Amino acid sequence: MNIVEFKNVSKKFGRTVIADDMDMTIRERSFSVIFGAPATGKSTLLRLITGLERPERGDILLRGENVRGVKPGDRNIGYVPQSFALYPHYKVKANIGYPLKLMGVSNDEIKPIVERTAEQLKIGHLLEKMPDQCSGGEKQRVAIARGIVKKTEIFILDDPLTGLDFKLREQLFDDLRQMQLDLSATFIYTTSDTLEALMLAEDIHVFDSGKIIEFGELEDIYSNPQHVRTMALLGYPEANILKGQLANGQCETPLLTFPANTNGANGDVFVALRPQHVSINPHTTDGMITMPAEITLIEDLGGELLVYLDAQDTFLEAVVNHGEAEDLTEGQAQIGILPHDLTIYAAESNTHIGQGVD
Amino acid sequence: MATEIRLEKLRREFGPTIAVNDISITFPSSSVTCLLGPSGCGKTTLMRMIAGLQEPTSGEIYFGDQRVTELTPSERKIGMVFQYPVVYQGMTLFETVELPLKGERGLSKKERQARVTSTLESLDLQDVARVPVDQLDNATKQKAAVARAVSRQPKIILFDEPITNVDVSAKLQLKRALKGLVRQHAQTIIYVTHDQTEAMTLADEIALMDSGKIIQRGQPREIYNNPNARFGGWFLGNPGMNFVDYPVERVDGEPLLREPLFARPTKVSGLNGDANVVVGIRPERMRVYGEPTANAVEGTVIRRSVVVGGQHLLTIQIGDVIVKAKALHTQSYEPGEIIYTEFPLEHVCLFAEDGTRLNTQLSAS
Repeated sequence: MNIVEFKNVSKKFGRTVIADDMDMTIRERSFSVIFGAPATGKSTLLRLITGLERPERGDILLRGENVRGVKPGDRNIGYVPQSFALYPHYKVKANIGYPLKLMGVSNDEIKPIVERTAEQLKIGHLLEKMPDQCSGGEKQRVAIARGIVKKTEIFILDDPLTGLDFKLREQLFDDLRQMQLDLSATFIYTTSDTLEALMLAEDIHVFDSGKIIEFGELEDIYSNPQHVRTMALLGYPEANILKGQLANGQCETPLLTFPANTNGANGDVFVALRPQHVSINPHTTDGMITMPAEITLIEDLGGELLVYLDAQDTFLEAVVNHGEAEDLTEGQAQIGILPHDLTIYAAESNTHIGQGVD
Repeated sequence: MATEIRLEKLRREFGPTIAVNDISITFPSSSVTCLLGPSGCGKTTLMRMIAGLQEPTSGEIYFGDQRVTELTPSERKIGMVFQYPVVYQGMTLFETVELPLKGERGLSKKERQARVTSTLESLDLQDVARVPVDQLDNATKQKAAVARAVSRQPKIILFDEPITNVDVSAKLQLKRALKGLVRQHAQTIIYVTHDQTEAMTLADEIALMDSGKIIQRGQPREIYNNPNARFGGWFLGNPGMNFVDYPVERVDGEPLLREPLFARPTKVSGLNGDANVVVGIRPERMRVYGEPTANAVEGTVIRRSVVVGGQHLLTIQIGDVIVKAKALHTQSYEPGEIIYTEFPLEHVCLFAEDGTRLNTQLSAS
């Protein structure tokens, strides 16, 4: 069942279009990530769900019911906002219990719920502290606890890990997924961070230019993106996108020309190449298109290396596993690309039309 | 012209908090040392004391043979680049870089301008030299700040998270500029960051910090491969090491590790006492197979995520132990599937229960 549905929803702020005749469906009990570039209105989508904003047109259904005219307080949604504004003059336990207090739950009932929620988030030891005695990561956990303390089955998390150290985020990835399973609830989560989206999403909704351009199970969308923006955004590091032309079964870009299967389509195209499909100094070049390139920077991620290349004035990003490339240095190199790793999108519609052929 | 920096029992307290806890270390001349650690580890306080922006509670700071502990920031004659670049309204980039040189005695106008020009060229800024600084994007502003620091030819340059507030799209050009700069090795550079990739990429040496102490100091790959404590194994890596509390069996007094992670009894030489250990291994060092394989143990995939470069991060349950392993995306193991995992002994690190690294050797018996 779909627990949240947008039907032809439009929302503008002045001239800025946030949602443009937009449809969206969120599956019940899914961990759903709404993923898109920063500052494109993802928070506003969430506020439309909670009722803090109203659409100009269209309908929003919650649990199958149209919620037009239903007040935010009556929608029964847990909410973790982006900025974790805690009440500085309340102890952590009062901060966490606050939404329940607003609902008129008695203090005796609040206490065990707060304690249980705090245990889930490993902040039981902080309950008697004031917010300013907590570190940034601890405050974030308190804010999340406050967001999930309500007894409900829909939780909205608006980019809650933004600004945290990478290591704190890494721990919270696991905790958030586990929490969603334990609560058996629907989590609707926004982020513009690719790794975060990849680590957390069960379902992903790619939001671009006021619409959900693609949605489904994460791995399906990652393996087979039908829209060039999805290909460009959803992957770490991001895919290389080249401009090209397609004519008579040949695709030509400034960097390379290759045979393509596009069911007869011709014209301007985008050619996408994932960084893991650029081979550097390959051992065998069977079937590969090879060319010289200059390695301009190597970044060490620990397990992997990100390699920035200048191939005849086309900039490419590659990723290699560290074990396979211990002696890689900046300077001249040979690169190899298999045509079947080149994905072709029509420039006019941005949609997938075919692949390169080996 | 560069000079080493030596700290002796440097300490800074803020009320009851010890931000920097009696650190003694020498940063060698003409090298780049990254102070790397999580928020609140004391790295910025340490750097501010070296700069003279924060008074130590106790301890001494030397630049070469000169004791500088009580000198003002300007008397220390060092270059500094901060998280947020300082911008003078209305001044061009050229003027901004030239300004601090105007106070230098014995430098003629011609020499001064030549130095600015060559500094700008070295950072690839010559084309925007006449643009007012407030019109530049953040990365270029930050490069301008680097140019200002470099043009005075200080022996020491301190960087405080210079990339943190630059847009993602512009980070790369700034990283290239910094890498080009640090490669010249003309100065002693201390670079503060919480970003392990930046540190692994730019540093000659990393000084890994936690809770006011330097936990480990060494070349980036050395720390990555051989952390001397759980902290380094956890902090470096994406995700960091797996840690498993592990029982040690003693057969005729000889310590052995067995299942669930080790298919064959594994001898531990160099392990004294009767305590248990913590097994540490990096997710990319484990090997996973779809079929039973020698030295691999059976487990079940309980989760799968897509990570860097399309690899799969598998969460695997082996007995009652849960570990994470990286696998190529072409090895498509589904959640629920039985797989076989090998923990190559040369990549297993053993830690004591208090988190310190054990100096042990593993061998299959």
